[in-house]
Amino acid sequence: MAGPLSRGRRYVVLLLLLCGFGVVLFRLVTLQVLQAAELTVKADRQHQKTVSLEGARGTIIDRHGKMLAMNMEVPSVFGVPTALDSPAKTARYLSPVLHVSTGELERKLRQDRGFVWLARKMDPEQGRRLERMPMDGIGVVMEGRRFYPKGPLLSHVLGFAGMDGEGLEGVERRYESHLHGEKRVTVLQRDALGRTVFPKGLAEQNPAPGHSLVLTIDEVIQYITEKELEEAVTRAHAKSGTMIVLDPQTGALLALAISPRFDPNAVAALGPDRWRNRALTDAYEPGSTMKAFVAAAAIEERVMTPTTMVFGENGRMAIANTVIHDHEKLGWVTFAQVIQKSSNIGAAKTGMALGDQRLYRYLQGFGFGQRTEIDLPGEAGGLVKNPRDWGRRSVASISMGQEIGVTPIQMVSAIGAIANGGVLMKPYVVSEIRDAQGRVLKQTFPQVKRRVVSPETARTVTTILEGVVTDGTGGKAAIPGFRVAGKTGTAQKIDARTGAYSATQFVGSFVGFAPADNPRLAMIVVIDEPQGEAWGGTVAAPVFRRVGEQVLNYLGVSSNEPVKLAMASEGR
Amino acid sequence: MRILAVFVGLCLVFMFVWERVDMVRVGYQIERLKHDRVMLQRERDELQVKFSALSAPDRIAKVASEKLGMGLPQQGQVIMVQSRPDGGPGPQVAPGEVRVAKNDLPGGRR
Repeated sequence: MAGPLSRGRRYVVLLLLLCGFGVVLFRLVTLQVLQAAELTVKADRQHQKTVSLEGARGTIIDRHGKMLAMNMEVPSVFGVPTALDSPAKTARYLSPVLHVSTGELERKLRQDRGFVWLARKMDPEQGRRLERMPMDGIGVVMEGRRFYPKGPLLSHVLGFAGMDGEGLEGVERRYESHLHGEKRVTVLQRDALGRTVFPKGLAEQNPAPGHSLVLTIDEVIQYITEKELEEAVTRAHAKSGTMIVLDPQTGALLALAISPRFDPNAVAALGPDRWRNRALTDAYEPGSTMKAFVAAAAIEERVMTPTTMVFGENGRMAIANTVIHDHEKLGWVTFAQVIQKSSNIGAAKTGMALGDQRLYRYLQGFGFGQRTEIDLPGEAGGLVKNPRDWGRRSVASISMGQEIGVTPIQMVSAIGAIANGGVLMKPYVVSEIRDAQGRVLKQTFPQVKRRVVSPETARTVTTILEGVVTDGTGGKAAIPGFRVAGKTGTAQKIDARTGAYSATQFVGSFVGFAPADNPRLAMIVVIDEPQGEAWGGTVAAPVFRRVGEQVLNYLGVSSNEPVKLAMASEGR
Repeated sequence: MRILAVFVGLCLVFMFVWERVDMVRVGYQIERLKHDRVMLQRERDELQVKFSALSAPDRIAKVASEKLGMGLPQQGQVIMVQSRPDGGPGPQVAPGEVRVAKNDLPGGRR
């Protein structure tokens, strides 16, 4: 049995205990006071993870809610070259999954860097395959990728978003500030296994997604327009084609097609020439379609009436040391026939009767030489020179659509003014901006720009333009069962090499509206450099008819041909 | 009295520890649910993309014409019938007034 500790032994034990506590206390002071700042930083680095969060980019839908552009999270793969044992082996392993050549992967993995992208924004299926084959030094992160599920449909209006999700063209670019999601950097706590715990503020919301856009475009009308334009461009072996369908009463764009199309899901290999929205950016000399507006100006100013007699000079008229020709030798004809037969001489005489100042005023009134202010990027204003810069032949030239540059969107807006009783509307393509919950934040209402001509003048011009289709050069634009008003145009292009009008390069076009008695559609068709027959009435007017017929049927617009039900039932 | 005080003190300590442990547990649960939600959202988005691609007009037109033998209606085959203003069933039949397209096909076929 042990006896009580001697006093000496008790001191020894006490001393040992004090030493022990002293060491602990010293360590405590060292950790908590002397190294506190340094260790806190180290601990934070281990416990905390800083992540950059971004709300999903807003969707784009058509007027009936059909999805045209949306975001989806897809995998991106990165490598940490410094952590790899064998870059060559890893490259061989990853190549079939990432669809990147072994050589390319190996080159990236041999770089003396701590981080390198191997493949970004892949298909979800590729990510699922990668999840089944984890390996050191290779990581996967999820990133938002823009998808255009309808492929090339409406590509020139939608535009596209870049690799980092920023809008680069079209609506994507114009409405970037609305579409992009909220960006936020947040700090998360993680445990020893790297799992997130105690997310900072459990009530913290995810970053807000971007706003969604509702377009005025109708997906079906767009499809019909693209299909018919594509076929026409192919048939004519043309360089390109443009077609716009507009609601003349509101200015709402129903379809805008450019041929050739492009797929916004795969733009990397394409250049601006392919994705440029030529309907807005490219001005062209319109040729005879301009006569419709010269006619409207002349009738409004009472310079002409449909029955005013005009001498056609038998197809040849000298002016300012040059000669103007008509494709048909005309004698005395009515003013209505001047337009219906598309007489250059008659149009020149009309312009000269108007005079340069009045002609210029109406050109501006119809919106030529200035942007329509449509909500799409890159719009050109066209070219209308000031009368003080006009030459001796300018009035005549402009009256038949030369010496003037217009864009297709200007031209269809202007014909829309005739269809709309003389009132020019501002064209627009986005009708609503909605938040993620579907609440409407902003709505676009039809906007009147100005009255250009009186309703009576608009009616008179409409009747004349109906004659173009029934008795004139636009016969192939006639839509069975409907009254159609329009004007053909065939313009020589300027040869870039010689600076003179080309004898082989033309722009064939047709601009008009239907039904003429209650316009629902204003349309323009422009075929650039068709081969063979290049007349607007031959290459563009049939496209107008085919699109008009299908779209009016689709919209449920009644035909003008009343037939008794009995007849209809006989046919069954 | 002293025992009661010790008991209450222990209870408070236990509750504090229990609360901290439960917070960690709930934190993990929330993270798991968040992950599930993200996965479901991804699946939903993927299905939405597939649905939109499958319902593209050019694909439907191709299937309709190539697989189902359908075609665009010929001139006069579309008949617009005005609905009854009172909302009743069937068209407002008044042959003199109803505007329907001519049902003759080109070439005299019916």
